[in-house]
Amino acid sequence: MYKKRMKKTMFQSMIRIGLALAAVLAVVEVEPVSAHHSFAAEFDASKTVTLSGAVTKVEWANPHIWVYLDVKDERGGVQPWQCEGGPPNTLTRNGWSPNSLKVGDTITIDGALAKDGSKTCNARTVKLADGRSVFAGSSGGDNPPPPKP
Amino acid sequence: MTRLILGGLIAVVALAVGLPAVATAQRGYQPPGGPTPRTASGKVDLSGVWAKPYVPDMTKDGKDQKGAPVLPFTPWGEAEWKKYDPAQGDYTGSCLPFGMTRSVNTPEPMQIMQSDTYFAFLFEQNSWFAVVPIDGRPHRQGIPTWFGDSVGHWEGDTLVIDTVNFNGKTRLDTIGHPHSDQLHLVQRFSRPDLGHISYEITVEDPKTFTKPFTNSRTFTLRPDWEMMEYSCEENNKSLWEGRIKVPKP
Repeated sequence: MYKKRMKKTMFQSMIRIGLALAAVLAVVEVEPVSAHHSFAAEFDASKTVTLSGAVTKVEWANPHIWVYLDVKDERGGVQPWQCEGGPPNTLTRNGWSPNSLKVGDTITIDGALAKDGSKTCNARTVKLADGRSVFAGSSGGDNPPPPKP
Repeated sequence: MTRLILGGLIAVVALAVGLPAVATAQRGYQPPGGPTPRTASGKVDLSGVWAKPYVPDMTKDGKDQKGAPVLPFTPWGEAEWKKYDPAQGDYTGSCLPFGMTRSVNTPEPMQIMQSDTYFAFLFEQNSWFAVVPIDGRPHRQGIPTWFGDSVGHWEGDTLVIDTVNFNGKTRLDTIGHPHSDQLHLVQRFSRPDLGHISYEITVEDPKTFTKPFTNSRTFTLRPDWEMMEYSCEENNKSLWEGRIKVPKP
């Protein structure tokens, strides 16, 4: 009984390791992001931001997708933010679609702030509440590539 | 024990079968193999949809890209490079034409169509194109343009595309390396096998550089991709909302 369970456990471990490997390989070497314009023309890579909130709108259009979200501030108020992502063409080839992110989804964006001080960011990663990453691909052409989802 | 080994083998086989599909969907990709294709007239056929390396900075090396680490600036070129500030206006942010080098540098794919008379660059970036006569005719003497005037000829199995008559309004790359209206480009295309193009671009510009410099790249065939529309103006919010400045002429 114990041996049988051990065999089963080892087999399950192998499957798990295999699936983990597959997951890693699935996210390596994704297509590079676009640089419709110089990143430095609009954003400051040194001013990073993490935003959590509910999606209010997604614009799936060139030259970049835009994700809008309501973010709660320290006083309990809601602040509307907008974040730029990669171009739809590249995101489509990387497996995303306009339905990958829906209105009402709670997300966390890691990105860089716009230079003009507005509530605007360049999204490097977008994570859903369940931990999955979507739209991982900013337009930060001159900067290090975004972290893998 | 036998079952354990068998179970392990099944897992490995399942992974071996499943992984290529996952990886191919991303970029652990291998193009189809085979010999260099040729046209009916015997020329190397460069046609296809090609993945290109993204080259935001032509001084840097990268995957499938060998850069020119030190650019031999003239005093004028050095001054132009030092004073460039994209925050004061980046023409590509206004969706103006990227020009030849910056279009080839983009990460978006490029389709090549070719006949005995013409070679066409079909850039997905902003849906631009450039059509190049390759039948031996000389350069046109027209108004200078964003993409310049290109003509091509064959040197053995290598197609050599020569481009002049630029308007001088573009930058060589995303990071903003300069050039002048004296820019002269020589692009060399060869196809060592079905799945790859060996590409070399030589930049000559006596106003900006004291001597020519070169980048070498490999393009990869993507028969699984189709070109997609790219309308730069459609949702260029950053410009409309004033976060990107319109460059001054």
